[in-house]
Amino acid sequence: MTAATTGRTAAPAGRLLRLPKALLRVLLLPAVLIAVWWWASATSGSYYMPTPDVIVQTFGEVWTAERFTVDVLPSVGLLLTGYALAAVIGVGLGLPLGMSPKLRALVEPVLEFLRAIPPPVLVPLLMLLIGLDSSMRAAVIVSGCVWPVLLNTIEGVRAVDPVLADTCRVYRIRGRRRLTTLVLRSASPQIMAGLRQALSLAIILMVISEMFASSSGLGFAIVQFQRSFAIPEMWSGIILLGLLGVLLSVLFALVERKALGWYRGVRAASRGE
Amino acid sequence: MLDVTGLRKIYRGGDREVEAVRDLTFSLADGELACLVGPSGCGKTTLLKCISGLMRPTSGTVRVDGREVTGPPPGMAVVFQEYGRSLFPWLTVQDNVELPLKEKRLPKARRKKLVTESLEAVGLGHAASAHPWELSGGMQQRVAIARAIAYEPSVLLMDEPFAAVDAQTRADLEDLVRGLWKRFSMTVLFVTHDIDEAVYLGGRVLVLSSSPTVVQDDVEIDLGDERDQLSTRSEPRFAELRARVYAEIQNAKQGAAAGGAGR
Repeated sequence: MTAATTGRTAAPAGRLLRLPKALLRVLLLPAVLIAVWWWASATSGSYYMPTPDVIVQTFGEVWTAERFTVDVLPSVGLLLTGYALAAVIGVGLGLPLGMSPKLRALVEPVLEFLRAIPPPVLVPLLMLLIGLDSSMRAAVIVSGCVWPVLLNTIEGVRAVDPVLADTCRVYRIRGRRRLTTLVLRSASPQIMAGLRQALSLAIILMVISEMFASSSGLGFAIVQFQRSFAIPEMWSGIILLGLLGVLLSVLFALVERKALGWYRGVRAASRGE
Repeated sequence: MLDVTGLRKIYRGGDREVEAVRDLTFSLADGELACLVGPSGCGKTTLLKCISGLMRPTSGTVRVDGREVTGPPPGMAVVFQEYGRSLFPWLTVQDNVELPLKEKRLPKARRKKLVTESLEAVGLGHAASAHPWELSGGMQQRVAIARAIAYEPSVLLMDEPFAAVDAQTRADLEDLVRGLWKRFSMTVLFVTHDIDEAVYLGGRVLVLSSSPTVVQDDVEIDLGDERDQLSTRSEPRFAELRARVYAEIQNAKQGAAAGGAGR
């Protein structure tokens, strides 16, 4: 978007044309993909590949207000709870680990091992340990999402600029103020990168945990549709998951924009803008 | 005010030992502006880190106001060479200046007054709400200087603060430092590798030898209190002093080269 706007900023005709052009650029590929899909599903005539119009129609029928409160909202709530817990635990553990090389040397081998375990395999175990309730599903999300946050926080904290750290020492900035003004802020670009990875993991793990072990929720509903051969309904669930993912990443981008405004500024300045 | 006695610093890495500073002794009187010059790699930064309490010397002592330095002492401010990395990019200019004052637990009104005054003093009253990265290099260093002054230090250390700014900005900043030094009556230790700058700024120039470092010469700069980029720099006395410091540094380098060749 930026590349196209920088060249011609003055011409009013260009300004008028810009909005439709930007819209076109965003919508072009989705439109092409839907057209290809439509064509493919219409010509194959497969029972498992309904045409987009059928899916859109079903979407409206399936995802009613009632279904939203029963299946979608609990899923989203679960996702956000697990994600928030993972964020707090990841940053909370990452800070001391990033600041203390001794602690890091002690814990790192264990972290590497735990990180290597794919979180979905924990579902059967956690079912036994915690039971079938939603705290089990939140635990699955936490167990997967905590790693990118934790590892990125450690790296971010380790990379605190030594000159800035010296500045804090000279002006005797210590304790909590040092933590909030120096450590957390300078690690924030990396913490945000970790949180972004964790967000997409959280969606995946939410669905998996609900497919395995639940009697409601988005993941459960999709599996249920598939088992009862309600194919357009199943497709509409998949589309809803996609839309949820897009919505969450847009919200995340807004938060990131606010929190890392300074970082974009620094990078633009160092590029000699 | 500032007493450095028998300062020695040896870096140990594995089984290798590097003696960066051998034996440094000097003192600055209250309200003095002294410059430290030396050939490159002579341990200026090591020395400054020891004085500011950021690094423990291997032996010897540093005293500020009679108290031995074991960590960064209160009442000391440091302006670093890397201005871009010593300011907090996520804070505005005024928040950068105010931060140390918060840690000093000054009341809000007093903090505000100090921030405004010091930003005015460095000519950045208008840029208070900008972020450091929106400013030029010279302006960023002014912010760092404003932060140091607002802290109301009794000793101000400056570590090659103008090494990375262009020549014209540099001349302005030199005059700024002299002006602030007179106005706020601090003891200033200014480290530089630029002989002209040292002679122009200081009331006294300490010439360091090559590493392992000792004080090679202590030159009184009798150029008067009022200095001006044009007239001071064209005085014959300026040229004499400059030549003397230059010769000492050349000596220091050759001494090191001869020592190195003869082992």
